Amino acid sequence: MTTASGAAPEQEKTSALPSLLAKYGTIVGLVIMIGAFSAMAPAAFPTLSNGINVLNQAALALIIAGGLTVAVIVGELDLSIGFAASFEGVLVTGLMVNDGLPPAVAIPIVLLVGALIGLINGLIVTKVGVNSVIATLGTGTIVVGLNFAYSSGAPIAAGVPDSFVNIALGRLWGIPHNVLIMIVVTALLWVLVERTSIGQSIQAVGGNPLAARFSGIRVDRIKIMGFMVAGVCAAITGILLASALGSGTTSAADSYLLTAFAAVFLGSATLRDGEFHIIGTLFGGLIIAIGFNGLAIFGAPTFYQYVFQGAILILAVGLSSLGRRYANR
Amino acid sequence: MGNSAIQPVGAETATPATVSSLVRVTGLRKHYGGVRALKGVDLDLRAGEIHGLVGANGAGKSTLIKILAGLESPDAGEISVDGTPVSIATPDQATALGLSFIHQELNLVPRMSALQNIMLGVPKASTLGLVDWRRVRQLVQPIATRVGIRFSLETPAAALSVAEGWLVSICRALVRRSRLIVMDEPTASLSAHECDNLFRIVRDLSGNGVAVLYVSHRLDEITGLCHHVTAFRDGLLAAQIDRASLNRARLVEAIVGTDKPETFALAAANVIAPESDEIALSVRNLRRGSAVRDVSFDLHKGEVLGLGGLVGSGRSETVRLIFGADAMQGGQMTLCGRAFTPRTPHDAVEAGVGLVPEERRSEGLVLAKSVAFNLSLTSLLGLHVAPPLPLMSMRRRDKQAQEMSQRLLIKMPNVATPVGRLSGGNQQKVVIGKWLSRSLRVLILDEPSRGVDIGARQEIHRIIRELATQGVSIIVISSETEELPGLCDRVLVMVEGRIATELRGAAITREALVQASYLSTEESQPS
Ligand SMILES: Nc1ncnc2c1ncn2[C@@H]1O[C@H](COP(=O)(O)OP(=O)(O)OP(=O)(O)O)[C@@H](O)[C@H]1O
Ligand SMILES: [Mg+2]
Repeated sequence: MTTASGAAPEQEKTSALPSLLAKYGTIVGLVIMIGAFSAMAPAAFPTLSNGINVLNQAALALIIAGGLTVAVIVGELDLSIGFAASFEGVLVTGLMVNDGLPPAVAIPIVLLVGALIGLINGLIVTKVGVNSVIATLGTGTIVVGLNFAYSSGAPIAAGVPDSFVNIALGRLWGIPHNVLIMIVVTALLWVLVERTSIGQSIQAVGGNPLAARFSGIRVDRIKIMGFMVAGVCAAITGILLASALGSGTTSAADSYLLTAFAAVFLGSATLRDGEFHIIGTLFGGLIIAIGFNGLAIFGAPTFYQYVFQGAILILAVGLSSLGRRYANR
Repeated sequence: MGNSAIQPVGAETATPATVSSLVRVTGLRKHYGGVRALKGVDLDLRAGEIHGLVGANGAGKSTLIKILAGLESPDAGEISVDGTPVSIATPDQATALGLSFIHQELNLVPRMSALQNIMLGVPKASTLGLVDWRRVRQLVQPIATRVGIRFSLETPAAALSVAEGWLVSICRALVRRSRLIVMDEPTASLSAHECDNLFRIVRDLSGNGVAVLYVSHRLDEITGLCHHVTAFRDGLLAAQIDRASLNRARLVEAIVGTDKPETFALAAANVIAPESDEIALSVRNLRRGSAVRDVSFDLHKGEVLGLGGLVGSGRSETVRLIFGADAMQGGQMTLCGRAFTPRTPHDAVEAGVGLVPEERRSEGLVLAKSVAFNLSLTSLLGLHVAPPLPLMSMRRRDKQAQEMSQRLLIKMPNVATPVGRLSGGNQQKVVIGKWLSRSLRVLILDEPSRGVDIGARQEIHRIIRELATQGVSIIVISSETEELPGLCDRVLVMVEGRIATELRGAAITREALVQASYLSTEESQPS
């Protein structure tokens, strides 16, 4: 026993390194990025107003990504969220402009629509047994159709009430509403996943649906719930985006799908070994937002943004699966 | 208590003449994070011998095997084959050295035929670059016959029983001209008859100069079969025992570390508890496909009811119907006097029925999650901080898990350890522990002590009796004929989807169980 202690600790360090790298690599990357940008653009980047600006830019993506995280934790993918968010932005402005509904009525209706889309996704996946990628690609495409049917493809801009525009553009104690809403949504999602019995069930269903079922958990319900959370969060993002733009535009939120996936997968490689979780998604979303912010500050041409977005998605999924591989050692 | 199948030491089990070391392991160490699984163990395995490897759950047996198989690399220590030091970095190198491994979870490719599985990764006879399957079959058939394969080699692996899968795996090892076949808990899912067949093959292999490293928690098998035994305790070598001094007491001492006589706690069990008239669960004419043809029985309150019979006689399928895991195609059930029609396991759990499933890794555990997480899955609602608020108390969850782990002697660094990192037997304890923190009317345990060491098995049996005294009704399925006699008040023996025999109290003996399992098969065949 005494002879063993000599060799053991050293061995421990070397074998733990890859796993540590996978767990903290993204955080280290975040810190390096902040440091580098601060050094390269000391006047523009490390300022309070730019910090708030970054958070503001990250907020909408983080909300939709938070919802997606829950769907991914139950073991399903939701590709409809971007299209749904676009539709919901159009719908909320339409309800106000065309039907004269006040925001306080239009917004809850649209949130319900978000939940409904999630419910339909969930039912198709659990009760019909369609693979979630195909199912949500299908519903997402149908939603695009609905969107065009509703808006004829033209933006709904004129006559959006100021009170609605104010939701996204207003500030409280100097902090944009979007950021505050993002913080509240993220906090609620964290509590849901980590500190409620439903959250434990969500994690169990994602980890091993059969074992969850044999523990008395209603697997189908939990999965449907995961889709509904993703749907509601997509609706929140869609509404806030319409508010920020002051208009409902047919494909305004489509690109949030990619950003959300990148944030979720990047997040899964953060702090835990390839496991999806809310705090991870928060980090993932921030990394992406800071990256974009840097690109903008340095005036990088638009195509770089696409390259960055695509590269980060691949990097994120790569890190995530590396993390899982080490976890299984 | 020698298993009827295992003959006492005789000519055929005598130590083989060859005494040269085939595989020699010295000072082997391996740790996972902070867990030191092996702290310097030795193993000396001679050509053609049957070598038993025993030890409590988590003692390091599987770790040693994984290292020999090239699946894990040791921290320190030496392995030599035929006296030459070797390093085994990959499974291919292990195969090249003549070592074959049959892990407990058989890794056959389900959609391939038995023959394809046997030949997987072996250079095959070919004409013009195309595999000549006819010639391959001619080559393999004699070996297959030798290990007792009576089914067609074209059968897809998915259609084979566990026992048949074992035969395919052994055949695979022989085709590769293995000199050592390592078997990790081979009899855990075999019926008594299939075990006999396996023992015959193992002896035959040994007679032909193939060594077998045999890992098992069933001590009767070890004493009946092995020429040499190595015992591990807590990652250390506890004993090396040879045939002459091999007996059950010696093994228990080596494994547990004391020579405290095995309190077969359950001497009391055969003294039947005064049967309660209260019927907890009544099952009438249960049917599903050909597995469950017509099953009726009553389970009394506080009774321990065993379900005996062969693997495949419909026992697991029956309890799956009671648990709502499969839909029944006919029959009625009542639970405590009320109609009971569980459509999902959730319904069954709500009604107070729990099931420890047969397949612990796939049905019982979320392997990536912690011990505490897994232990709390069945009692989530009970862990709320304040019932109307849906918030959970993680502190209470961890405390409950802590207590449960102590009660079941679960060996692990702490309750935050992912359950997938526990040894096989300790994982099984977690699956059982899941149900103990919830109040139940009926607890069904399907092969509860599969892969569990003798200490923990006694503990599990004690807990079963204790629950019964508290009024919980228990159904235990076990293919191990030694298990039910000590434990049950009553045993129903199932044959081909029907209940064939009922045994009570002192009439529950190993012999009676075996007889009931087979006699009835023959009887019911003509009809
Ligand atoms: N991948 C792993 N990561 C961390 N710890 C591990 C891992 N595999 C095994 N261990 C630990 O190493 C120890 C030895 O485990 P091992 O599987 O060798 O036991 P065993 O003798 O085969 O037990 P059993 O009879 O229960 O199968 C245990 O404490 C176990 O928790
Ligand atoms: Mg083991």
